[in-house]
Parts: sequence; structure tokens; C-alpha cells
Amino acid sequence: MSHDSHHAPVACKTELAPERSDLGLIRPDRATGWTDWLTTVDHKKIGILYGAFAMFFFLVGGVEALAIRTQLARPDNDFITARMYNQLFTMHGTTMIFLGVMPLSAAFFNFLVPLQIGARDVAFPRLNAFSLWTFVFGAFVLNASWLFEFAHLAGWFNSFEWHKALVYTDFAPANGWFSYAPLSGTFGQNGQALRFTGVGTDFWIIGIQILGVASLAASFNFICTIINMRAKGMTMMRLPVFTWMTLVTAVLIILAFPAITVALIELMFDRAFGANFFNPSSGGQPILWQHLFWIFGHPEVYILVLPAMGIVSEVLPTFTGKSLFGYPIIVFSGAVIGFLGFAVWSHHMFTTGLGPVPTAAFSLLTMAIAVPTGVKIFNWLGTIWGGRIRFTPPMVLALGFIWMFMCGGFSGVMHSSAPADSQQQDSYFVIAHFHYVLLGGVLLGLMAGLYFWFPKIFGRMPNATIAYVASGMVILGFNLAFGPMHYLGLAGMPRRTHTYHAGNGWETWNLVATIGAYVLGLGVLLAFANLFWTAFRGKKCSNDPWDGRTLEWSLPSPVPEYNFAQAPVIGARDAYFEHKHGTKRIGAENDGGDAGVHMPSQSWMPLLASSGFLLAGFGMPMMAMGIPHAGWIVIAGLGVLFLGIWLWALEGPGGYMLKTPVNQGSPAPTEAAAR
Amino acid sequence: MFSRFFSRVGLLATPFLAMIMVGCSKADLTVRQSTLDPKGPVAQAQYDVFMATVWLVVVLFVLVGGLLVFAVIKFRSRPGDENKPAIVEDGHGNPLVEIGLITASIGALVIIAIPTLSAIWYDDDVPAEAVPTSKLSAWYPRVEGTRENYAKTVEGQVLEIDAIGKQWWFRFEYPQLGLTNDAKHSVPNEFVIPKGVAIRINLRSEDVIHSFWIPKIAGKVDLVPGRKNHMWIQADQVGHYYGQCAEFCGDSHAYMLFRVEVVEPAEFAKWVQRQKADAAPVAAGTKADQGKTLFAAKSCVMCHNIGGHYGAGAFAPDLTHVASRKSLAGAWLDNRNYDAQRALEQKTGNTEASVEVDPATLKANFKKWIGSSGVSTGPDGKPTKDVKPGNRMHYYKMFNVAGLNETNQKFTDDELDALAEYLLTLK
Repeated sequence: MSHDSHHAPVACKTELAPERSDLGLIRPDRATGWTDWLTTVDHKKIGILYGAFAMFFFLVGGVEALAIRTQLARPDNDFITARMYNQLFTMHGTTMIFLGVMPLSAAFFNFLVPLQIGARDVAFPRLNAFSLWTFVFGAFVLNASWLFEFAHLAGWFNSFEWHKALVYTDFAPANGWFSYAPLSGTFGQNGQALRFTGVGTDFWIIGIQILGVASLAASFNFICTIINMRAKGMTMMRLPVFTWMTLVTAVLIILAFPAITVALIELMFDRAFGANFFNPSSGGQPILWQHLFWIFGHPEVYILVLPAMGIVSEVLPTFTGKSLFGYPIIVFSGAVIGFLGFAVWSHHMFTTGLGPVPTAAFSLLTMAIAVPTGVKIFNWLGTIWGGRIRFTPPMVLALGFIWMFMCGGFSGVMHSSAPADSQQQDSYFVIAHFHYVLLGGVLLGLMAGLYFWFPKIFGRMPNATIAYVASGMVILGFNLAFGPMHYLGLAGMPRRTHTYHAGNGWETWNLVATIGAYVLGLGVLLAFANLFWTAFRGKKCSNDPWDGRTLEWSLPSPVPEYNFAQAPVIGARDAYFEHKHGTKRIGAENDGGDAGVHMPSQSWMPLLASSGFLLAGFGMPMMAMGIPHAGWIVIAGLGVLFLGIWLWALEGPGGYMLKTPVNQGSPAPTEAAAR
Repeated sequence: MFSRFFSRVGLLATPFLAMIMVGCSKADLTVRQSTLDPKGPVAQAQYDVFMATVWLVVVLFVLVGGLLVFAVIKFRSRPGDENKPAIVEDGHGNPLVEIGLITASIGALVIIAIPTLSAIWYDDDVPAEAVPTSKLSAWYPRVEGTRENYAKTVEGQVLEIDAIGKQWWFRFEYPQLGLTNDAKHSVPNEFVIPKGVAIRINLRSEDVIHSFWIPKIAGKVDLVPGRKNHMWIQADQVGHYYGQCAEFCGDSHAYMLFRVEVVEPAEFAKWVQRQKADAAPVAAGTKADQGKTLFAAKSCVMCHNIGGHYGAGAFAPDLTHVASRKSLAGAWLDNRNYDAQRALEQKTGNTEASVEVDPATLKANFKKWIGSSGVSTGPDGKPTKDVKPGNRMHYYKMFNVAGLNETNQKFTDDELDALAEYLLTLK
């Protein structure tokens, strides 16, 4: 198959005749509108889609949280049932972690990493699309359990034989995001596989499994991109810190997700096929699940927090006018956190009776991880010190991040001491701790990132006043909601309990926490609404409104689809800032005159392959429900997956050349200048 | 613009800080499940380590937080800055500062690492010096003729209690004292210990993972099926203590509470003896007698044991002394008069003080609990709400037991009343 027609560069892709794959299928190359978004392989569009889905699921998780807080507002409340509460906290945790924070981080990875390293796309653009759609379908499978739950509550299933035979009728998962076996698994002997929970758990297992595929594929992609696609002169120690943290996060995902993948497969085999990995009555080991889960689960915490740390490490230097204090140590401590993150998983299991020696070891290692984390805070402080702080919405959110993360870190140090933790474990003190880290920390960090890069993504500036009001509400509401939980935990209120009696002394602070949660919820909604408005109607702004330091600010906003008209050559860390204000640090490669930029072809195949997961994801829980012939849906789903991958492989290289405007205000293209 | 922002932050922060101040004064540290009011050596050790971490963190918070606030205020941009060169001169970091701070961090952590390590080993098992204080033979019931021989075998041992977790209650057994499920003398959900005596608790589970937590006496340890965990406790003050399952264990996790009564050692001996006694016979022809018949007819007997009356059940809580316990249904229902109890707590200033069981409350609780099945209907014709959703008493689908079905579990008000009258006799 020849691609002669593409050798002449064109100004717009729609000028070309449709391209065909090696099998003769038309590729959606020239498409616009919906088809363009569904088949895109452009890292910026994929990033925007990731961000949009993530923000949607943030709001879903937020609504779940508010339902939880409403139920707990007063003692002996019956706003929702015990089971519904359990389903809500399970889905709240799962949604926020896997469908909120991780994809929002992925949105930043996608949009920024190629721009920050001076590349034109990620290493594998179609794999990138595959990651996106696999995430979307995994999220859909997970949340479809709610549709089944509501159908069940409405009585729509009552006339079916398979429904009458069910012992447990929780259709949305009620097993917690940690899903401890044997509650999530089985009991009984001789392969009976009796269960403690209903098909909600099966939805959860397959949903997380699918999301894991998405995360793994994306991580391989980003590691390859960062290692191989850097512009000339962009050495590893000149990488922006956000890109560095992306690399560390991707490596963590690659190393951590296999553990949960194995654990989920074992649990699935227990439930579906009567295996006995975690079944205590047949000699299985429930504690094995906890080890496998937390050796994934603890690095997961750093998977969530490192990207936010990266964002803050970009925002602070920009608004203090100083370079990052101790760049090598910040990078190194990020890597050390990632490494040590694999050595502290058992601090989630201090109460499981590990024995004194392992408890002591994990206690000390957990204290040790406070050191590189402290280093980051000290270095951010060092960055502020002696600078000229310009207050902008992203800067205020970044400072909020440091403050809240610091508080969360302090309660973390309290947990690291195992004897103290035996009183705090599974109490509201823990909820306070990790919400300070994950909400006060990560969410504020991600919001700082959104307000920081939104002008780059859409070329429009979010309204600053609304942003300040929203940030104030988020910070105030957050402290009001989670500050009192420190007390509630120390006053003995356990987590995951849907109600409590009057007389335990927990009434006042639960009410305060609920009020705080609503303020927080409104703040997040306002912040997101501001961004949504900005994306379509906001005030246009310049290409470099913040006086940015890294390469993405040298590009027009919104960024053209080919990113860099000429491949840049980099001469320093923070090259663009120095280039603007001091020595010329950015050159350009001489890449052959009018040949144009080589653009990859779009493709339906990642979407097709991912949709196989959707079918299989519905099939597994339906099989567990006892719906006749549901197993065939699983097999059909896997068939679609393989068909998609096969057609993908036979698509051929594709691609076309795009003309770029010459010298779009970019500096003189001499390689020598960058040296 | 920027100073205006600061004044706004200040305006927001002031009422917030005021609220924290007021709040702290309202935060009672001696509530029922407070971890900050230790009443035994294990909880005390955990509390001491916790306070060490608190002081360290407060110092760090003041230092680092103070520096942060200072830096943000001091190094804010001022009018005229825009005329200065864009690049702020800086050294890109300072190795001496970095290494100094890292060393200081490690030093700070060593301060809490040392008490942490010593408390980990202290909390693990009954300390050797605590063993001789337990005199098991003194508590072994005199009704057993073998007391002297038995005493020789257990004298000098630590008193052991087996805590067995189930969805959603705890069963307690005292194997050295003959109070076991096998011997039809287990103690459900509300156990009794002698004051000032070190006790080993063996933690077992018969279904999912639970966690054993009496905040004022000891931090939690999990009950993991298929695994033999243990902990030790000692209570140095007589009273009524509140515990709760701390590991998510299914639908009614929030209702899995338990209690421990700490008594003087001499009282404990009497209690053991009472536990081993059978239930008193019920006078024929009374309402209670009618209830006794119903107890068998409605299949209660298949799971519950009542010493001297019905001996078949081994699965569900032993009801031989159910009317003597201060709580019911996994301690979710309190059998004491609520107002009297609150008044006593306020008068004595602690939550360990407890009034006795109130028969009227107890009877109402019996009726509420037994009648709360999903198959009973309330006055409005709708199914009544389960006291404990998913509980096994009504969840006949769980175990294919003959006779345990929807129709069998329906009660008329009269039947419910008779059953409650019967249970009230089981002191």
C-alpha cells in the first residue's frame, strides 16, 4: 500500500483523499466533529477528554460523599439504608481514586508531557486512545452497577427466575474500595463458593481490572515518551519536574498494578469458579488479599499524590520568579518516595496481628518515608524564600496544597507509630488524615494545575474572582469537614459505619463536618463551573499569561495539532524563561524545509478494541447473577477485543504531512544558540 | 489587589479560628469510646506514644507552618517589582541547608521511634511480671468437684478469653473456667473481667474479618478467619466499657458493638458461678410458659441455647442469661433506661458508671428485635425496618435449615409478647 498521496504537505487534513488500511477499510483521517473526537490520536484532545470525564466523575463521587455526610449529620439517621450507605462509600472511594484523581492526572500527563519535552505526540498515539477508551468503558461498567441497583430497588427484576435465586441482592458494590476477603470473596468447602456479598462485588472486580489495563497501557506509553521523545538538549536533569513526576508515577503504576491484577484475578476465580485463594474454610488465606491489595494500594497513594506534587513544583517557581530550590533533590526525593512506597504497605495492616518484628520494621520504614516528603515541603519553602510571590488563583491553590498536605503529613507521622495507630486504624482519624492528603493535597494541587494550564489548553483565562471565591470555599469547607474528624476518630468513632447512637459524644462534630462538606461541594462545583464556562466563553488571553518557564508556554494557545512547527533544541532547565529574559536557550532543528510535519492517522480500532472490555465487563457480573447464557457475552467481548487489536495491527503506518506556518514568532532556528 | 486578598483571607480565617477555639473547649475527651481516656496499661502505653507524636508534630507545625506563613507574607511581590529584572537571582538550592534539614528530620523521627518500638513489644503479649497476679483457681466455680486438681493445672497461667467474631456480634468464651460454647456456657457480646488482672484475648472469626476495639482499654486487633491472633488487656478501674467492631464486615457493621464489665475479682468469681447455672424453670400455664413453647415452635431453638430448657442451638447467642445483660442485638439496643443512664453519667462525670437493666426497656427491646424481621409488617402495612439489616435471625436463605422460613417467622403481637415474657425470666 502506497502513501504517495501524503507526500505533498497540506495545510489541513480535510484536503486529502480518505486513506485506506491494508485491509481496505477507510480510516477516519479526514473526519471532523464527533468522529474526530472518537477516533482522535492527538495527545491534546485525548488529554481534554480524560479531563472532562475525570471532572464528571469527580462530581459523581462528590454527590456520593454528600449523601454519606447527610446520613451522618445526626445520630440514628435513616436518610439511606445501611446497604445503600455501604455501597455509597465503596463507590465514593473507588470513583474518586480510579475515576477522578487518576484520570485527571492522566489528563495533565497527556496534555503536558509532549509539550514540556518538545515532542509532537506521545510514543504510541493509538495506544493512548486505547487507554482513554478503556478507562471510559471501565468507569462505565463500574457505575452501571448503580443502574442495576436502582432497577432492583424499583422491583424490575422481581419476576425473573435468576433474581429469585439470588441470596444477596446488592447490585452496586458494597465491599469497600479495599474489598477485603473473605467479605468480598467466598466461604464454604468443596468449591461451593458461597458468598457474603452480591454481584456488586463482581462489577467492582471486573471494573477495576479494566481500569488497570488502561492505566498500564498509558504508563508504558508515557515511559517510552519521556525516555525516547525528548527534544535535542532536553536531558533528564533538564526535564520539568512535572514530567519527572509523571515518569516516577508511570513506573509506580507499572510495578504496582500487576499486584492488584493478580489479586483481582484470584478473587474473580474464587467467586466465579470456586477457587480457594482467599476462602478460609477451604484453607485459603484472607490475609493474602490484604498483602496483595496494599502492595498495590500504598504505591497507589503516591500514584495519586506525585502528579500533584509535580504540578505544584511548576506553579511555585512561575509565581515566585525563582527557579525551583534544589531541583535535583526534589527529583531524587520523588523517586525515593516512589521506591519507599513499596516498602510500607503493611502499615495498613498494623492491626492484623503481624507480630512485633514486622510491625516494628514497617513502623520505622513508614517514618522513613516522611523524610523525602519533608524534603519536598522544605524545598517548596526554599523556592518561596527570597522570591517575589505573585498571587494568582493557581498560586493560592498551590500554597493551599502545601499547607493541607503538610497537615496530612503530620497526622501521617502519628499513624506511623504502630501502637498509636492501633487506636487510630479504621477510625475517623484515618479519614481525616487521608482526606487532608488526597483532598487538601491532591485535589488542590490538581485544581492549581487546571487554573494554571487552562489558558494554555483553551487560550482563555478563567475568571479570577470566581476562582478566589471557589478556592476559599474549598479550603474553608474542607477544613470544616475534615478537621473535626480528627477529634471524632480519637473519640472512638469507627469508619464505614452508616450510623451511630446519640450519647457517644459524636453528634456536634458530625453535624459540623456535614455542613463543611456542603460548603466544600459547592466550592468544587463553582470552581468547575468557572472552568467549564471559560472553556467555551472565557476571555481570550495571550500565549504566555503567567510568564511561564517551561516549553509549553512558548507555543500558541490553543496549541496547534502539530505542537512545534520546528522541533526545538533546548539549552537549559527552565529554558523558555531564560530564553525570554536572558540568554537565548531555545533553538530549532533544521528539519528539511517545506517537508511539513508528519502527522499520525486517526483510527477506530482503539475504540473498537476497548468496547470489547465493555461487553466482557457486563458479561462477568451477569454471569454471577445467574442470567442464562451470560458467559457468552464475556466470550463475545474478548472476541471484539482481539478483533479490534487485529484490525489495528493491519491498519498500516498511515500518516500525512501537514504544512506549518514558518517562524510563528518562534526564535531564530539555529541549533548553535541552544548549546 | 494582593493586600486586599490577604485581608479577605484574614476575614475568613478569624471566625474559623474562633470556631476551633470554641470547638476544642466543647470536645469532650472522656466520651464512651474515647482513646484519650486510657483506663488500663495497654491503652495507657498507646496513649503515651500518641502524645509523643502529638508534641513532636505540634513543634514541627509551629516551625514549618510558621516559616511558611512568614515567607508568604515577607516575599510577596510589591508595587515596583515589575521594574526589577525578571530573573530573581538565586542559588538553585543549597546543599548544606538540604543535608541539615534531612538530618534534623531523621533526628525528629528517632524521638518517636524509640517509644514506638518499646510500646510495640509491650502491647504484643501479657508481660511476664503480670502473670502471677492472676489466680485462676480463685475464680473457678466451686460447684465443680475437680476444683483442686484443676487449680494445679492452671495456677500461674494467664486468664484467657476467646473472642469469636461473627456477623454481627461477638461470642466470648473462658476455656480455663469452663465457659465455652461446647459446654453450652458461652457469653455473648457482653463479657466480664476482673479488675487489675492481665488477660490474654484469643481472637478468632467464624466468617469475615472483624476487629476488637475497646478504646479505653486497648487499641484494636483484627479477628481474621483462619488465623490465630491475640492481644492482652487489663482494666484498672471498675465500670462498664464500650467497644465496637472496627473492621468493615458487611451490611450491619455499624451495629456490631460490644461491652465489657470490669468488676472486683471477688465479684468476678460470683459472676462465673452464675454463668454456669441453668435457667430457672418457668411456671406452667403462665404467659412465659406460652413463650417457652413458642421458642421451640418458631424455630428459635435451632440456633439458640438456653441452659436447662433447650440445648440444641450452638450457632446463635446463648440466651441462658439474656435478661441479665445490659444490651441486646450486638449491643445496638440498650436495655437500660436511657435518661437514667445519661443522668448518672452526668452526675458522676464518667461514662463507666452504669445503671442496672430496666425490665420495661428490655421487654420493649425484645419485641422490637424479634419483631423487626423483614417479613413482619408494621401498623402501616409496610414491612418493619430491620434493627440489624441482613442479620441471620431472619435471613433464612443463608442456611438451608428446615423449618426456618418466612411463614414460620411471622409473629402476632400476642406471640411476641409471650416470647418477650419468657425471655425476661432468663436472668
